Amino acid sequence: MGKDDKIKVEVAYALPDEQLILEVEVEPGTTVKQAILRSGVSGYFQDLDAEQSKVGIFGKLTKLDKVLKDGDRVEIYRPLIADPKEVRRQRAAAGKVMKKGAREADSQSDEK
Amino acid sequence: MLTAILAISLLALVFGLILGLSARYFQVESDPIVDKIDALLPQTQCGQCTFAGCRPYAEAMAKGEADINQCPPGGQATIDALAELLGVDSKPLNAEHGEEEEPTVAYIDEEVCIGCTLCIQACPVDAILGAAKQMHTVIADECTGCKLCIPPCPVECIDMVPIKQDIELWKWPYPETTPEASRTDTPQTQEAMP
Repeated sequence: MGKDDKIKVEVAYALPDEQLILEVEVEPGTTVKQAILRSGVSGYFQDLDAEQSKVGIFGKLTKLDKVLKDGDRVEIYRPLIADPKEVRRQRAAAGKVMKKGAREADSQSDEK
Repeated sequence: MLTAILAISLLALVFGLILGLSARYFQVESDPIVDKIDALLPQTQCGQCTFAGCRPYAEAMAKGEADINQCPPGGQATIDALAELLGVDSKPLNAEHGEEEEPTVAYIDEEVCIGCTLCIQACPVDAILGAAKQMHTVIADECTGCKLCIPPCPVECIDMVPIKQDIELWKWPYPETTPEASRTDTPQTQEAMP
């Protein structure tokens, strides 16, 4: 692949019941922010403010000026609704296990 | 006579060369049977067959190391198709690997999700969008329903929900009567006729 070739990236945004992945062809050296603007993702969702949202690539938070590589999926995130500390407190109060594999650990303790 | 022999041998030489070169340049890298088997598998990458994914299972089947009835998501239809492709008798699904279920996708309860990324790491097809301390969302179109994200979740916020039926997914329901039932039905209707 020559240096002048365009690279293919994706821009994704997801609501619980509607998810959108847009494919965009951009020049090498394009940043996350430029790709989001190019994709026009804001036009599909009224409440989406891409400038204010946290963004990332494949599950890793990144800055808006990060330069993209071929095949990257730019993701626009939404904030959490639950407070992680509060959820943990509630689960602890209910006597539930809070660790990796919670469901299995719970069913095992139920059997005992 | 001589020109005919010359022409034919020249032709044979040229075509032989073309064949030889094309065999080298258009060489198929992987075993085509693996590709054919892989194409029949549902690509859930769920690992219920005990292999790491659909392609490793296809490779094992091509080598004859795995049986054709180890894929619960594919169900009987996949087993039948594999039997046909490999020229062996079809058999029922091996219950050790799971049961055939209706297709589902994962759904995250947003009120409970704490943004821990464990489900994202578990997802074999990158179908979950999210990052540390950000809301995680399942991209339903990408989700294969493999359930691998469910055990890692520390707050049990992921549920499997049936796939929303739309015009592309709808199919004719199976007939409700079993062959046995219709066989016992037929004589009765014949008796009732006269």
